Amino acid sequence: MTLWFVRGLRRGVVTTRYPARPDPSAASLPTPPAFRPGQLTAGVADRLVAVCPGGALRRDDRVLVYDVGACAACGRCATEAPHAVTSSGEFELAATARSVLIKRIPLRGEAP
Amino acid sequence: MTPLDFLYAAGAAWLAAAVASLLIARTPAGLRACCVLSAVGGAAAAAGGGWSLLYGDTAVVSLGGPTVTGGPLQLQATSLAGVFTALLGVVAVAIALYAPRYHQPSAGTSLYLAAYNLALLACLTVLAAGGMVTFLVAWETMSLACYLLILRHPRDLGAARGAFWFLALSEAGFLLVVAAFVILSAKTGATTLAGIAAHASSVPAGWRAAAYLLALAGFGFKAGLVPLHVWLPEAHPVAPADGSAFLSGVVVKLGVYGIALFAFRLAPPAGAWPGLLTMFAGAVTAAIGILYAMAERDIKRFLAYSTIENAGIIVTAFGAAMTFHAYRQQALWAFLLIAGIYHVANHGCYKTLLFLEAGVVEHAAGTRDMDRLGGLIHRLPRSAVIAFAGTLGIAALPPLNGFVSEWLIFQGLFQGFRTGSHLTGILIVLAAGTLGLTGGLAIYAFVRGFGIPYLGMPRTRQAAAASETGQPVLGPALLAVACAALAVGAPVMLAALSRAARTVTGVSLGPLLLPGKLTVIPAHADFAAFSPTYLAVFLVCALAVPVLIFLAGRPRAGSTRVPVWDGGIVSFKPRMQYSAMTFSAPTRVMFDALYRPAVSVTRPADDDPAGRSGPVHYETRVTPVFEQYLYRPVVRGLEWLADLVRPIQSGDVNLYLLYVFVVILLAYLLGAV
Amino acid sequence: MTPVTAEELRETIARQFGRSLHIRTLDTGSCAVCEQEIRLLTAPHYDLHRLGFFFTPAPRHADLLLVTGPMIRAFEVAARKTYDAMPGPKVVVATGACALGGVYPADPFTHGTVDAVLPVDVWIPGCPPSPLALLHGLGVAVGKLAEKVRDLPFTAPDDSERTRGDS
Repeated sequence: MTLWFVRGLRRGVVTTRYPARPDPSAASLPTPPAFRPGQLTAGVADRLVAVCPGGALRRDDRVLVYDVGACAACGRCATEAPHAVTSSGEFELAATARSVLIKRIPLRGEAP
Repeated sequence: MTPLDFLYAAGAAWLAAAVASLLIARTPAGLRACCVLSAVGGAAAAAGGGWSLLYGDTAVVSLGGPTVTGGPLQLQATSLAGVFTALLGVVAVAIALYAPRYHQPSAGTSLYLAAYNLALLACLTVLAAGGMVTFLVAWETMSLACYLLILRHPRDLGAARGAFWFLALSEAGFLLVVAAFVILSAKTGATTLAGIAAHASSVPAGWRAAAYLLALAGFGFKAGLVPLHVWLPEAHPVAPADGSAFLSGVVVKLGVYGIALFAFRLAPPAGAWPGLLTMFAGAVTAAIGILYAMAERDIKRFLAYSTIENAGIIVTAFGAAMTFHAYRQQALWAFLLIAGIYHVANHGCYKTLLFLEAGVVEHAAGTRDMDRLGGLIHRLPRSAVIAFAGTLGIAALPPLNGFVSEWLIFQGLFQGFRTGSHLTGILIVLAAGTLGLTGGLAIYAFVRGFGIPYLGMPRTRQAAAASETGQPVLGPALLAVACAALAVGAPVMLAALSRAARTVTGVSLGPLLLPGKLTVIPAHADFAAFSPTYLAVFLVCALAVPVLIFLAGRPRAGSTRVPVWDGGIVSFKPRMQYSAMTFSAPTRVMFDALYRPAVSVTRPADDDPAGRSGPVHYETRVTPVFEQYLYRPVVRGLEWLADLVRPIQSGDVNLYLLYVFVVILLAYLLGAV
Repeated sequence: MTPVTAEELRETIARQFGRSLHIRTLDTGSCAVCEQEIRLLTAPHYDLHRLGFFFTPAPRHADLLLVTGPMIRAFEVAARKTYDAMPGPKVVVATGACALGGVYPADPFTHGTVDAVLPVDVWIPGCPPSPLALLHGLGVAVGKLAEKVRDLPFTAPDDSERTRGDS
């Protein structure tokens, strides 16, 4: 009991200060992807749609429809097309409406 | 004009009711007329009993010439019997209001009502008996009339068994009571109770103690002291509801009256040990009574065991009173007598009420088994409220009357240190501790006794279909009002009882019991105090506070009603609720040394995987310890004795002629000597 | 309950729940990894209690219903009963890709999304959502933290070192 107490005093407070201050461990969290529209051709987009296991990606003519809510941050799309997909680094994803989580990303050549 | 005149009126009314029952009770109108007569008698008895508390003892009156007994009836209205008589009257009125709606007019009912009114008359005579022979004759008449009461349905095997237990133990007790009376009468030379009481101190201490012990055992059979109690749970379920109410409410109290009569008037024993013995018997009775009550599913058996518990409490109070008297604590002597008699009145009211309501439930839902009932508060709302009042009373919860009388008894017992003897003080406090255990278990038992049948969801179709139309309400309601009146009006009641105690014990408590108008203290000013009236008023007002908060703070917008949260179970079945036996399971596990449960589990052969190849039958049975280890050996011993003696009755005429010859020879020889 | 706008509800919630909120978790058929992350909130590192949030098993005492799982049809009655048993005002938060409709389509065994049965106020994506994401979501639910995802485009500029033609 005393050992635990002493060890705790030495170690200090381990509780995170989040949300008042950012948490350093957030940097290593797996986060949903961010897409580079400049690299998103229709072919790349179709490969990404095919490889996504959760059905978060869908191609709607010249727009890549990306459902953040269905994304598991598995990283398969980033492995498939590393030049077109990067990690967004965002984990604060709560939304008050479901539609807010569906992002429409224009393919290359389209107006944003 | 004396209280005895009221008692004459009551007796006449009940005699008329008994006769009328035989003649006209086969029609509804006739039934009602008999009940009216019975109620009139009850009112007169209540008035007479109440008045005799204040009046004191009347003179002994001899009525008439040679009666059944060969001598005149000797009657006297005493203040000790006052509360018992008043209780008899109130119970009679309540049952008279209840009976017309409970019984169907028929030949059986008319016989039953005749027996019942005869029993009322006999009880009245026991309480108003001024002479020994009157007392004994009336006592035996009461036993026989109660036997007929219990045997309302003679063809029912259970009824015959229950009635037989009652009669057998009544007779055993009667023998002991006769012996006690004979001892006292022989030693004092008087046959009137007043005469015996006047010369009580001239009886040698040993004979007095013997008479008292015989009386304790003899009346203990009737009062239900353990181990003499076994008739109560057998007889109560089989009698009709108002018969059970009468048995528990009045007849058991007559046993208590007998003990009080001997302890305080006729044979107050010298020394402390009779009082301690009585107190011990009462405490053990109370604890065992409520423990057995916890294991009962039948409402009436449960209430019967609760009666045993309360009789134990009263007898503990009397025993402690006697002990204090032996140590010359006269104030506590009178105080515990008052507390015990007050508990008699209270218990009479709420136990009668509960039995009458058990009858209503039995008629409405078709069963007395708690595990087949449930949700009756929705089907029988008025009966549920009245039964709740009775439950609050018997569980000794404020503000009702049970709380007041148990408070008084506890405060008296807590003052055991005033005896000055360490051992006695410890024993009295042990008795108080036992009563405390009993009180806690009583609350537990009556939460079960009210909650399982009345609250929750109905467990069977009959319970769901129970209806209150045509059920008697007025009789039990009267008793509920009486309970409330006894609580709020406790100071008035205690003032009257202290007048009665002065007549019996010669001790005037006055300011030692009621220092102000509404406060009660336990015979000593420096110990404790409380006001039943203020408490009742305060609790009622305190109930208003949540109501006011709700009215002030409830949401102005509409609110939604949703079903009770049941854990999200898709279909909640009534069988998923607590049952009576699971609710009492913790107690039964803790006290299994007393219950000695016999468990049998049968499952089909080759039951693999377990429980899947067929139904598993689990049965647990409480071992009837007293019947098995006490009564059965006695009965077997008697049968063995009878077997020994049987050869005398051989059937051989020659042998019988030899007997006749031998007896005549002996008679001549003895006559010559 | 009289219908209120989302704004009014949020104001009420911020006023009433900003200091202390009781959360009732509801698993409508998940793989229980979301539950592990939720349970981690009570660990010393994240320490839910310092923010005034508490878990309670009784819906009668709960202000917020935290739902995981794809709302299998077998659980629908229980979910509705739990929601109904909560006194208003109440908030429903759906968390995890399953609850948001991502993993399972509607079929004879599951609704696929919590929204089919309960009215959801806040959605927290993730598979599973990390405890930090959950804390953020709870903060949004009580109106203390701002909703960020509305303005996030999830796009990044081209990486000039790694331009390639498409293949």
